[in-house]
Amino acid sequence: MTQSPVTQRAMIIDDSRAMRSILRRIIQSLDFETAEAGHGQEALDQMEGGFAPDLCLIDWNMPVMDGYTFITEVRKRPEWRNITLMMVTTESEQGQIVKALAAGAHEYVIKPFTPDAIVEKLELLGLVSKGVPA
Amino acid sequence: MTITQPSGPELADVHAITEQVWSSFLGDEEPLLPRFDAEPFFPAETVWSAAVSVHGGWTGTVTVELSSGVAQSLTRLMLAMEDEPLDDADVADAVGELVNMVGGNVKSLMPGPSALTLPVVAAGRAAHSSELTEVARFDASWHGEPVRVSVHAPQS
Repeated sequence: MTQSPVTQRAMIIDDSRAMRSILRRIIQSLDFETAEAGHGQEALDQMEGGFAPDLCLIDWNMPVMDGYTFITEVRKRPEWRNITLMMVTTESEQGQIVKALAAGAHEYVIKPFTPDAIVEKLELLGLVSKGVPA
Repeated sequence: MTITQPSGPELADVHAITEQVWSSFLGDEEPLLPRFDAEPFFPAETVWSAAVSVHGGWTGTVTVELSSGVAQSLTRLMLAMEDEPLDDADVADAVGELVNMVGGNVKSLMPGPSALTLPVVAAGRAAHSSELTEVARFDASWHGEPVRVSVHAPQS
C-alpha cells in the first residue's frame, strides 16, 4: 500500500480579504491546505480550536491583534515551536524587520511581492521542493 | 537650530512604487501609463479613494484615487472573480490594500522610525487636513481610466 504524502497546512493572517485571496492562490498551488484569519487573535483562536499549521503567513498591521503580537504569542507556546512564521507586510524599516526576526519570525517578505518571491522563501525554509511551480 | 522634515518623497519614487504595486498584483499585460493632462478627469461621483497616514520620523498622508471602473477591475483581479457580483465591501478592501502597499513603501523611503495607520477608504474624493499640503502627485491611466496617487505633508 502506498501512503499519500502528508499535506502541509498554512494559516494566512491578513486583514485584507483581497490579500488573503492572493496568498491563498499561491499557497494552494503548492499543495498546502489553508485556513485564513483577519487578525492575530482570530488565528490563535483557530489554532487553539485544532487547526495545526506548519506555516503562518502574517501581515503586520491588523486590527485587534497585529502580526508582531501574534508572533510573540505563538513563541510563548512550546507546542507551537515547530511552526514556521513568515511576515508578509508593507513594513520595511530595518528596525521592524530585526524586531520581527528577533521575536521568532523565520522570514520576512515585503509587499508588493511576486508569487516567485514567496516560493523562493518557502524553498529556503525547506517547506517546498525546488522547481515546484507557483 | 530648527529641524525640518523632508517635505515628501520624490515624484519619480512615487511613480516607481505605484508601478511596482501595479505590476506585482494586477499583471503586466496592461501597463499603468503616466498622464500629464491631469485636470480635470476625475468626476467626484465615480471615484474611490483610500488613504494611509505615516507618523514618526516623517509625517504625511498617502492617498490613492481611482475611477469606479479601475476600482472594480482591480478588485476582480485581486479576488480572482470574473462574473460574480462585487459588493462595496470587496472594493473597499481591495482599494484599501492597494493604498496600504503604496503607503508602506513611501514610508520606507522617508526618515524613520514611523508607524503606518490602517487604511481609510471612501466612495468619493479623499479629504485632507488643511494643515497638509500636496508634495507629490502621480497621475496615470489604466485601461484608459484615471488613477492618482498623491502625498500630503505638513508645510516645512
